[in-house]
Amino acid sequence: MRIRPFEYYTAINQSDVLDKLAKYGPDTKVVAGGTDLVLAMKRKTILPRVVVSLHKVRELDFVREEDSRVCIGALTRHADLAMNTTLNDNFPILCEAVSLIGSWQIRNVATIGGNLCNASPAADSAPPLLALDARVVIASSEGEDEIPLSSFFTGPGATVLKSNQLLKEIVVERPKTRSAGCYLKLMRKKAGDLSLVGVAFQAETDQAGEKLARVAIGLGGVAPTPVRSPETEAMLTGLSYDEAIKEIPEAARAAVRATSPIADIRASADYRRTIVEIYVRRAAEKILGTLFNGEDIQK
Amino acid sequence: MKVRINVIVNGEKHHLEVKPNHTLVDVLREELSLTGTKKGCGSGKCGSCTVLMDGRPVNSCLILAPQADGREVVTIEGLAGREPHPLQKAFAEKGAIQCGYCAPGMILTAKALLDVNPNPQEEEIRFAIAGNLCRCTGYSKTVEAIRSCANSSRNNRPSAGRKAYA
Repeated sequence: MRIRPFEYYTAINQSDVLDKLAKYGPDTKVVAGGTDLVLAMKRKTILPRVVVSLHKVRELDFVREEDSRVCIGALTRHADLAMNTTLNDNFPILCEAVSLIGSWQIRNVATIGGNLCNASPAADSAPPLLALDARVVIASSEGEDEIPLSSFFTGPGATVLKSNQLLKEIVVERPKTRSAGCYLKLMRKKAGDLSLVGVAFQAETDQAGEKLARVAIGLGGVAPTPVRSPETEAMLTGLSYDEAIKEIPEAARAAVRATSPIADIRASADYRRTIVEIYVRRAAEKILGTLFNGEDIQK
Repeated sequence: MKVRINVIVNGEKHHLEVKPNHTLVDVLREELSLTGTKKGCGSGKCGSCTVLMDGRPVNSCLILAPQADGREVVTIEGLAGREPHPLQKAFAEKGAIQCGYCAPGMILTAKALLDVNPNPQEEEIRFAIAGNLCRCTGYSKTVEAIRSCANSSRNNRPSAGRKAYA
């Protein structure tokens, strides 16, 4: 699989990237880890005229704690995210999800910014980040803008990013009370597969630890973009453990209504819908157990 | 258009002019004649092109040649000293080789695993080599070979699963 020739530049820092994006225009692609882009160039589905490599832009490879929030540089690799202490302490759901991406070889080069910008409906980093109400910082030579991740994706492979813009960092607010979350991923084989369905379930208790103060569900692979399930979230929020356990089957069925899965060679739409219901139920039961019955409590 | 890169391969410095539409595996095999690195699927699935870049296993078929600039790369040729590396010996002794095509990548991934986790449990080994496909046989002998190179193969601590590394 040959790659068609292109003009190539190595950017030395963020402002260099932004200058080059402004200069070379819409046929330009930035390459971070390249595990999606290089493959697309081999398959001739993306044929950029200019490629700007980000591998020397070290300033966007970080996990930083800032007061109530944690900022993740777009060029942080999945293997580093999965092992990061700050993230494991605050958002283990994200570490769990990215540790299931591709293979070890892929996670050693693929970045979280690349995963989001590639905008696969099945991107594994997206459901947990949506469930964490993550925001993304978008930079261009004209300045920076911070928007919710939920308004970042516009369709399969499509985002709001303009040709002169770069996804710079991801920002997540730290949970204020006791929280727990998990990510369940359906694959056709045990490893190295895209998710057929990805369910991220994140919940927080109230101060007293008696009721669910916040429930957030991110779903991947079952709609043109990763989505939340507001109906299910509303059904469970405010409930005690006993009330929530009773409500779970109905709430899990409601999650299916947030989806519009396709049927393809990998799975039928019906199968994907069935799995959404089952995985939301399993995830909810697991996280309720963690939050109220005391196993593996975070914060 | 060619791009100048500096790359250390198996401890040796190279100043190369590479085509940006070539990948690291092309440079290793065609420019440096290091054909121990295999080119299998070319799409990051089979792991036969695995090399260590700054100590970590990566698929060299998905890395654009200029992205190797400033990196340190180890291929299977760089693993052995005067004697074969213990992993190479173990693969041969345990019969973890049939056609041998996956072996260079498999052994390098195993080396990286043992570097970060000197005493991996079976589950951890299987998770680490999930990106190295063997189509001849199973993975039992491979796992056995890697396990035999662990620091203390009798110490069966509980597995940390994929949390032991990523």
